[in-house]
Amino acid sequence: MLAYVLRRLISIPFLLLGVASVSFLLSQMTKGDPLAALVPERMMSNPEIVETVKAQWGLDQPLPIRYLRYLGNLVQGDLGTSFATRRPVATDIAERLPATLELVIAAMIIGTAMGLTLGLLSARFRGSAFDSIARIFALIGSSLPIFWSGLILLYVLSVRLAIVPGTGRLPPRIAPPPHHTGFYTVDALIAGDLSLFVQALTHLALPAFVLGWAVTGIITRLVRSSIVEGLSLDYARTARAKGAPERVVLVRHALPNALIPLLTILGFTFAYLITGAVLTEAIFSWPGIGSYAVRAAGALDYPAIGGVTIVGSVAFLLANLLTDIAYAWANPRIKVH
Amino acid sequence: MMQRKFKHGLTVIALAGTALFAPPAQAQGSDTLVIARSMDVNSLDPARAFCDTCQFYLTAVYETLVTLSADNETLVPNLAESWEVNADFTEFTFHLKDATFADGSPVEASDVVWSILRLKNLKGSPSFLMDGLVSAEATDAKTVVFKLDAPSSEFLNKISASYAGVVNAELAEANGATAGDDAAETDKAEPWFLANSAGSGPYKLASYAPDAELRMAGNTDYYGDAPKFSEIVVTQIQDAVSQAQALETGQADIAMQIDPDTARSIRSQDVVTEIVPSYNFVYIGFIPGAKGMADVITPEVRQALALAIDYDGMLDFTVGGNGKKQAAPIPNGFPGTAGLIPREQDVAKAKEMLEAAGATNLKLVAGYPNDNVYGVDFNIMMQKVQQDFAAVGVELELKPLTWAVWRDELGSGEWPITAIYYAPDYYGSAQYVQYFGMIEGFPWAGRAGLGHPELVVNPAEAGLYQQALASSGEDAEMLYTQLGEEMMKDAIILPLVSPNLVLAYRSDIEGVRYSACCNLPLAEISRK
Repeated sequence: MLAYVLRRLISIPFLLLGVASVSFLLSQMTKGDPLAALVPERMMSNPEIVETVKAQWGLDQPLPIRYLRYLGNLVQGDLGTSFATRRPVATDIAERLPATLELVIAAMIIGTAMGLTLGLLSARFRGSAFDSIARIFALIGSSLPIFWSGLILLYVLSVRLAIVPGTGRLPPRIAPPPHHTGFYTVDALIAGDLSLFVQALTHLALPAFVLGWAVTGIITRLVRSSIVEGLSLDYARTARAKGAPERVVLVRHALPNALIPLLTILGFTFAYLITGAVLTEAIFSWPGIGSYAVRAAGALDYPAIGGVTIVGSVAFLLANLLTDIAYAWANPRIKVH
Repeated sequence: MMQRKFKHGLTVIALAGTALFAPPAQAQGSDTLVIARSMDVNSLDPARAFCDTCQFYLTAVYETLVTLSADNETLVPNLAESWEVNADFTEFTFHLKDATFADGSPVEASDVVWSILRLKNLKGSPSFLMDGLVSAEATDAKTVVFKLDAPSSEFLNKISASYAGVVNAELAEANGATAGDDAAETDKAEPWFLANSAGSGPYKLASYAPDAELRMAGNTDYYGDAPKFSEIVVTQIQDAVSQAQALETGQADIAMQIDPDTARSIRSQDVVTEIVPSYNFVYIGFIPGAKGMADVITPEVRQALALAIDYDGMLDFTVGGNGKKQAAPIPNGFPGTAGLIPREQDVAKAKEMLEAAGATNLKLVAGYPNDNVYGVDFNIMMQKVQQDFAAVGVELELKPLTWAVWRDELGSGEWPITAIYYAPDYYGSAQYVQYFGMIEGFPWAGRAGLGHPELVVNPAEAGLYQQALASSGEDAEMLYTQLGEEMMKDAIILPLVSPNLVLAYRSDIEGVRYSACCNLPLAEISRK
């Protein structure tokens, strides 16, 4: 197992190099003017400004030179400077990634807890009213567009009922906690500021629920169908024949088997949400990596596109690795080589 | 052990419950002003920045020599207590008042000279403001003399633009800034300006996180009246609906990008909304130099298409009537616009003119940014244009594009019609002639002609422009009126809507106003 993990880890930098090269070349070949983020529209007719900016950002160099420079910098850990924010891409990502991770982890916890519970109970009481309600709830979560469910919940819970706060990671009047992890909830606890922790948690609750609800549907369906299938298999019949109560058959026998396909979904969803939680980030003014990615792509911000691609790739590669390891752990019949 | 774990679990759940139902932070009595907007910051360096957010940030942090008064027309002293202008508008002398930068050092004439030369030499986006400046000289610690290569009665207005804010030269130079002729190559201070400021205004930069928040702290050592807030936070809230929600809940004190429809949906009694005319406008532009269009988009065809548009309907269609029509590409209320009469739709005449020009079965393409600016959705606007053109027998294909692709295709003449917008940098009409005038070498003449100036250049405009810059008062007004009429004859730029602006703020806030130079003058805002 250890050798397998090491082999996979060693291959990551080479895969990333390939991803970075493809990303660089594709973004350079994409139709569009990269100066869009560097020169305001009204100044684009000013040749002096355009030439100055091109020279400053190396855009006057031929593509092979730009590519070699990019790779050279990348190998040294320099992702370049964003055209849009004018700051190092690594700094931008370091600021935004914890925000996204905090949101996605919270969403995954909520989504998984809701999905598992609903799936389990739906399977246990299949055909009942609860089963129907749970499936409808899950279906709504995964069918409703986040921009709609997010805005409506924000309006009802924040504006009308005032039981959750508005957008952002903290109220604007409150300064963020000292930076340790970039997770405001964790950093607030490290700072020993319980009130700040409560504020951070409050702000996290609704966007995490909205995002988590969206992934609840698929988890509920998967868990339900896996358990329903498991309950009709030989091992469940044997357990029942040996006198095990239905609760034990469900939790000890059917559930662990249902978790195996769930691991794949969880791994993939987590990696996807790292750069894919764009709408939630936009609605809740959550300064994460998803909105950064969209802005970078729209503005042809080459360095930022490259940086986000690498982060997304790392997320997928690690999620795949962890899923494989978890698979082996969850199912002893699976061996990794 | 189990019991302890259970109790611990209960505590966590209780805490989470408390968190979930914790009341939102209220604005009442807060010493922090919170502004909700979608930030468009491209830089916080006065000589590089060029955006709406930049305008009000720079105005709060860096002071200019003169500024625009609340009437949005009159220039009043700021860092300069007085000034003299020579008879032909080529020499401007400013006398500084006693003022200090945020670090306590005095504002001196050398700082002014350094800042203005840096603005010119950096070749940044706002450098065009200093076109024509041939020298800047500090004749003593409190006197600055600027000389221009040609008359410019608008130089005073340009110097009131927020980008012409005076920077603490010594502090900026210590952090990589330069102002010499080679500043474009040698200046390395932009990252520093994203985290620090060096102005003399009532506020200073505390921190900036792109697309998240911009924090300004009150300058406690401000030489003038003390700042009204200890902190101003501009918080990123992308859309109008979310901004309105932030305002209603008290999370924000001011929302800057609420459209009239959203404003009507606000129910809270604690929110004030005022709808005021703006100096912004959206327009369509013809590009006769586009591929294969030289003999198609002729002046006659342009005039006919201009008559095909239902301008009143456009106002209703795009901003629900919350806007004004605008005659020429100079905004209503700016010098020379009082006598200009906006076009009216005349379908019969448009058809007649198209027939006379032999432009039957005309098929055109419009490429434009797929965006919503100042509450105007460009797709909706262009659909209305499409509908109006169809009424005179012209088929218009719409091509909404990302900004990057739009810019790429604009320069290569892919389509003969586009749509875009303009917001003023300062109060003055010359900036519009300088941008929209069909004068050889000017931006829109180049954009419309695409290497064929003969297709678009209007010989009357260059002379009128020079005369306007050498005049002032009523004479200048009259010349700008003539320039407006000439630009209407060009029919290259067709202003469609000048959308109204919604000032939306909590009822305990006062001093909110729209400024033609500075967007939102923060120093004037206070809590009751």
